[in-house]
Amino acid sequence: MEYKVEAHRIMSISLGKIYNSRVQRGGIKLHKNLLVSLVLRSARQVYLRDYYGGICLSAQQAREWCEGEYMDSEQDKLVPGSTESLPESDGQSEVAVDKQEPSNVVESHAALDVESEASGEQDHAENGVLDSGCSELKTPEESPEASPTCEVSNVVTTISSNCISGPPPSNPKQATETPNGCQTDDGESVEEKLHEPIVPHTCTNRKRSADDSELTDSLPKKTKVMSSTLISKNDEKKAETEEMDTSNVSSLITIFGSSFSGLLSSEDGAQPDSEAEDSDSGQICCDQMLKNLNPWSTAIVAF
Amino acid sequence: MDTEYRTLSLTRALCLPYIIHPSPWKLNRKINTVGSEWPWVIDRAARGFCLKSPAPPGPASSPLPDSSPRMLNPIQVLCSDITSLSLEPEPFASYTEADIISTVEFNHTGELLATGDKGGRVVIFQREPECKTEPYSQGEYNVYSTFQSHEPEFDYLKSLEIEEKINKIRWLPQQNAAHFLLSTNDKTIKLWKVSERDKRPEGYNLKDEEGRIKDLSTVTSLQVPVLKPMDLMVEVSPRRVFANAHTYHVNSISVNSDHETYMSADDLRINLWHLGITDRSFNIVDIKPVNMEDLTEVITAAEFHPHHCNLLVYSSSKGTLRLCDMREAALCDKHSKLFEEPEDPSNRSFFSEIISSVSDVKFSHSGRYLLTRDYLTAKVWDLNMENKPLEIYQVHDYLRSKLCSLYENDCIFDKFECAWNGSDSVIMTGAYNNFFRMFDRNTKRDVTLEASRESSKPRAVLKPRRVCQGGKRRKDDISVDSLDFTKKILHTAWHPTENIIAIAATNNLYIFQDKFN
Repeated sequence: MEYKVEAHRIMSISLGKIYNSRVQRGGIKLHKNLLVSLVLRSARQVYLRDYYGGICLSAQQAREWCEGEYMDSEQDKLVPGSTESLPESDGQSEVAVDKQEPSNVVESHAALDVESEASGEQDHAENGVLDSGCSELKTPEESPEASPTCEVSNVVTTISSNCISGPPPSNPKQATETPNGCQTDDGESVEEKLHEPIVPHTCTNRKRSADDSELTDSLPKKTKVMSSTLISKNDEKKAETEEMDTSNVSSLITIFGSSFSGLLSSEDGAQPDSEAEDSDSGQICCDQMLKNLNPWSTAIVAF
Repeated sequence: MDTEYRTLSLTRALCLPYIIHPSPWKLNRKINTVGSEWPWVIDRAARGFCLKSPAPPGPASSPLPDSSPRMLNPIQVLCSDITSLSLEPEPFASYTEADIISTVEFNHTGELLATGDKGGRVVIFQREPECKTEPYSQGEYNVYSTFQSHEPEFDYLKSLEIEEKINKIRWLPQQNAAHFLLSTNDKTIKLWKVSERDKRPEGYNLKDEEGRIKDLSTVTSLQVPVLKPMDLMVEVSPRRVFANAHTYHVNSISVNSDHETYMSADDLRINLWHLGITDRSFNIVDIKPVNMEDLTEVITAAEFHPHHCNLLVYSSSKGTLRLCDMREAALCDKHSKLFEEPEDPSNRSFFSEIISSVSDVKFSHSGRYLLTRDYLTAKVWDLNMENKPLEIYQVHDYLRSKLCSLYENDCIFDKFECAWNGSDSVIMTGAYNNFFRMFDRNTKRDVTLEASRESSKPRAVLKPRRVCQGGKRRKDDISVDSLDFTKKILHTAWHPTENIIAIAATNNLYIFQDKFN
């Protein structure tokens, strides 16, 4: 699990940089903060993906239990949100499928942010339901595993502790503008929405060996058509992953090429598909954290 | 095969002090003259900071051997012999951050060289006319003028300090006896006029020689004032101030080939100015998303085409270049050409985005090619081919495995500049450890040179350096781990016609010349 350590370290460094940029002379440098936020996002994806990979190996039962409880309690509230989540995930997938359009990246980014905004709207509806504390993450909802829930919360609190503390907002606008990323409200509602359609896959996604089943299962969930070649590509990637043994994060990430979301790659039509596949599954588990922590917004604040 | 590069002498133009002149930016040309009326200059000189007038050239060196094969012409350093002129035995031991040179630019003839530093000062060097009696010591560069271009400011609406660091200097093509240059910091662009005065009127009727009003009763006859020669004075005055047009940090300015307009680019917008109008500008490129959270890329550099006044190119943090035609629309958000190289998935890492961000873009003198610099490579693009660059030069690929450490110490965010030579056959860019590299596009040879005090003794040859990455290690090779990442050469400039290069190494300026033409 050195990968996790390395990714976490990079995340801490990135957050430190963003924090320090606020006191630097000359104001916040937009370019540098943008790059740091991209690194942070990548590291976070890897970190959480790897983390959930370990979690999903156990607690299948807990998952089902969580699903049931989650579905029952949140079904009604999530119905309005569920329709939003599908287009969002589709938007992300579509972004990956589209070829070499620079606007793709903006769109996918927009898709992510649509999620956050939608989550914010969700938030309004469920204000009473969701607890705004950073430490309480609705772990039964967010991860199908019950046993590692405390670990999950630890993960997020670790991340949160790196953040500049700020009052958790209930308004998405505020959320994005606080100088910190502890936005568990948004994250939770997002995760709920994302979980609803794709919950059965969250655990299996993390398992590298279970990619085949995951992909096949997720196919009907997506409106776009995934070719079988993508699945085989994923297999190769996953196989490579298991073979490699390195503590060097850079080389590690090449292995985890598929863990990058469609944001990062739009050159190869097939490749981003596979990446989007994985990334979507990754994002399912990660997005709750991702929405919790949007350091990019911290840099945007000044502008 | 080791080619030899000979240095003639070394100019070390260390930052000059805050020369706050009482009024209008007059500066005695020989600022280091002992006994001049600028005592603070003397004070600084005591710390070895002043550039002195050139020492008389020593005995002519033996003619350069022209028989040895060489990849590039030998480079020689030309300047004054600073070591014999400095007043302190060990100067340059420390410098303030304000002394760090932040931009270097030759003017269109190459006669003048301007440098800007983090303290907001601009120092202009002028090339001495070639001396006929010393054919081997061509013109050397000496300080011509220095002035404070920008001051630190405070934006009280945003509670942000605006740095006075000079981000870019661009010369205007010369149209009369005076020289004009644009200098910019993060927010404000200024047009400066640099003119010489070598005559002064004498024989006023109402004033005496010291300027005191004469007692009218002593005036018995009228005389016509005459212009008498005087010591050359260089006057620098601000002619225009282009302010309040940029929300984000200005990273580039570029003068148009029509000599009337210029553009300034910040992170998200590019504005078009007329050189005579300061209270308004046109926005020609705007990539700011409606929701800032959707931001994915920023503008990193921009330049006008050298011949076509309607074409401009700007680079992004994603590694793409966009060529825009101002004839198409008032707002050139839609590019005419997009230059993008597909990313190599095998090289993907956490830091792929950072190292693909283009830090500098330069048109070739011919206008046919584009030179871009990202963190590890320099690329030459053909304007007619958008899908991939024409040539890719690895500047320091041995850093690819060290990206994580470079990220930690912030070196990965360093913005290296690049330069063409006059004939567009050689490109040059800087690296770490005070190394800079030149790539010959025709012969595909390259060389790594070092700009340092120790290796650039007067009349010494610049020795090619090599960075070894393990394996066979030759003598004088530097290993990757012993590179000094605090010594970086970000700013370089090449004379527009001759093989003279200016290298800014932190607070030092090195000027090297290829004597062998």
